[in-house]
Amino acid sequence: MYSKSDLKVIIQGIGQPLGQTHAALMKAYGTNVVAGISPGMGGQTIEEIPIFDMVEQALPEVGPVDASVIFVPPYLVLDAAKEAIAAGIRQIIITSAGVPPLDMVTLVRKAEATDTLVIGPSSPGVIVPGKVLLGTYPAEFYTPGPVGLISRSGTLSYEIARELTEAGIGQSICVGIGGDSIVGSSFQQWLQILEEDDKTEVIVLVGEIGGAGEEAAARYIDEAIDKPVIVYVAGIHAPKGRRLGHAGAIITAGLVGDVGAEVGTPESKIAAFKDVKVPVAERPSQIPELVKKVLKKSGHKKK
Amino acid sequence: MDLLEYQAKELFREMGIPVLPSQRIDHPSDLKGLRIPYPIALKSQVRTGGRGKAGGVKFVATTIDAVAAAQTIFNLPIMGEYPQVLLAESKYNADREFYLAVVLDRNARRPVLLGSVEGGIEAEASFHRIQQVVVDRQFSPFYARRLAVKMGLQGALIQSVSAVVEKMYHLFVDKDLDLVEINPLGISASGEVMALDGKISANDEALGRHPEIATLARMIAKQVKHEDVPALPFNQNFVQLDGNVAIICNGAGLTMATLDLVCFAGGDPACFLNIWPTYCESNNCVIYSDSSPELLRENVEQSLELVGNDKKVKVILVNIIGSPIACEAAVTAVESYVKRREVSLRGKTPLHIVMRLIGAGDEDLKQRLATLKLHFLEDLEQATKKAVDLARL
Repeated sequence: MYSKSDLKVIIQGIGQPLGQTHAALMKAYGTNVVAGISPGMGGQTIEEIPIFDMVEQALPEVGPVDASVIFVPPYLVLDAAKEAIAAGIRQIIITSAGVPPLDMVTLVRKAEATDTLVIGPSSPGVIVPGKVLLGTYPAEFYTPGPVGLISRSGTLSYEIARELTEAGIGQSICVGIGGDSIVGSSFQQWLQILEEDDKTEVIVLVGEIGGAGEEAAARYIDEAIDKPVIVYVAGIHAPKGRRLGHAGAIITAGLVGDVGAEVGTPESKIAAFKDVKVPVAERPSQIPELVKKVLKKSGHKKK
Repeated sequence: MDLLEYQAKELFREMGIPVLPSQRIDHPSDLKGLRIPYPIALKSQVRTGGRGKAGGVKFVATTIDAVAAAQTIFNLPIMGEYPQVLLAESKYNADREFYLAVVLDRNARRPVLLGSVEGGIEAEASFHRIQQVVVDRQFSPFYARRLAVKMGLQGALIQSVSAVVEKMYHLFVDKDLDLVEINPLGISASGEVMALDGKISANDEALGRHPEIATLARMIAKQVKHEDVPALPFNQNFVQLDGNVAIICNGAGLTMATLDLVCFAGGDPACFLNIWPTYCESNNCVIYSDSSPELLRENVEQSLELVGNDKKVKVILVNIIGSPIACEAAVTAVESYVKRREVSLRGKTPLHIVMRLIGAGDEDLKQRLATLKLHFLEDLEQATKKAVDLARL
């Protein structure tokens, strides 16, 4: 879908300060923002974007929409996402942080039933450098190129994109799946999207301690991904058993959090990737070298 | 936020999960007006596990013994935490003890029901034998029965245990909980079930829509005063360590990466602090640095103040990556801190500040930093090395 040049996007919560700021930035990047939604502001415009009270009022005016970027307060996210799904939108990006996990459980059930891709919450969104910006990515760190970048953490992924860009390596698609404990899309879903994307030659996966997403991703790479993957995991020196910032970065032993085997520790994540022969960078600055190495091996053509 | 046992049991009682008659004891003298018959169990109300082994649970049969036991328990810290209240509870003769829980499986993105016929203090040892049922669609009581059957239960116990699981699930969903656990669920000789101990963790992000849980959580926050956790609105994002390099950073992932780099460079972190918090109690505060430069500036200033007052800190490493708006706010905060500190702490131990800033957009901010008494670097690894070198001086 990201190869579509006229990707149509709406912004739910365009009346919120953050929505307004990023509406302007997305538009300036060239994203085709066709409408904004903000109940009570119907008929007005922001950045020359027409505003509607409801998603279902916008669609007859602007035609079918590919994606909605949501900027509403956290407790209103579930409702906004349901509204978008009901109107037939099949890609939803949630930038808001602090959505209660059980709202996400409800939304994930709904998304699976309707084949909707939900990105976030607490996500910087998706950027196809040089083409489309859906979310809050600072565009200046990104350039077009062959690396697909998947990350749980916003600012850390900016750091890594910048390292790549400085080393002369651009990016095909970058996604932040979100740092919260329950997020809409998994590493596996994005590995599959990047595997199928023609522009992507190498995948960089940025993990962090807590959760079992990286372990599951390692198994999936082994089974289903043919493109080279480079991994970096942050937090190997973080003290165990402490809460670190957002909910996604909790290391919990025992019963709370993840059920079953020993997972979530940096050791278990790194071991899982090494077991399936995926190179693991020790620090962000190593990622460009590792990417260059695999590009050379695969005979990457300079365009 | 973990609730205390007596609070969890209040919620169990409201939901119709069987609990024993009990009474909250705020002071040993409260036992003189005890409304439940002896013998009783007196239980320390702290959030840490291993209470029984630590001596925080005592069985008594008379008022005199109860008062003495209460005095002992009130003065017994368990993992550094003193109880503010005790729970007096009727004694129960359990024939068997089960383990039950409802938690979220982050990978499946679904609630999961857990159960084991080996409960009590042995539950953790037999962890791998705990049965699981993922609630993959809309909940229906059959999920709870499926768990009971997987646990190997037969006859009337299938219905009585699954009824408890069903109520636990409803409590979990109604109150936005991260965990509901009953360990042990006592089973009497006649097959009657009773929640003998319970644990509830409320989801912090959902507290804003559960004022009753937020009130309970605040009572505990008042009770538990950890010395290493400062009274900041974003204290969840602050982690205290033993070294001398303080790390202030925006975003949890980048904070952890910075921490790793300091360690790789041979440094010893004093603490780390993520100034990009996502925690809030009210629906209306979407905390996000770009939307509120004012809030970001305040957070950076408070963070600098906090770590700068820690005597073992020799270097503060500030790592900010973001939009020009976010960078501006961070620079303004550092500027005012550096200027203030120069005045107030002249002649005392030097405190170095290493600032790493990316995304400022233009030269203006860099020039402002150049006039300050601090080390400004754009490369992250160089900045961490600089910080570690300065800490060795």
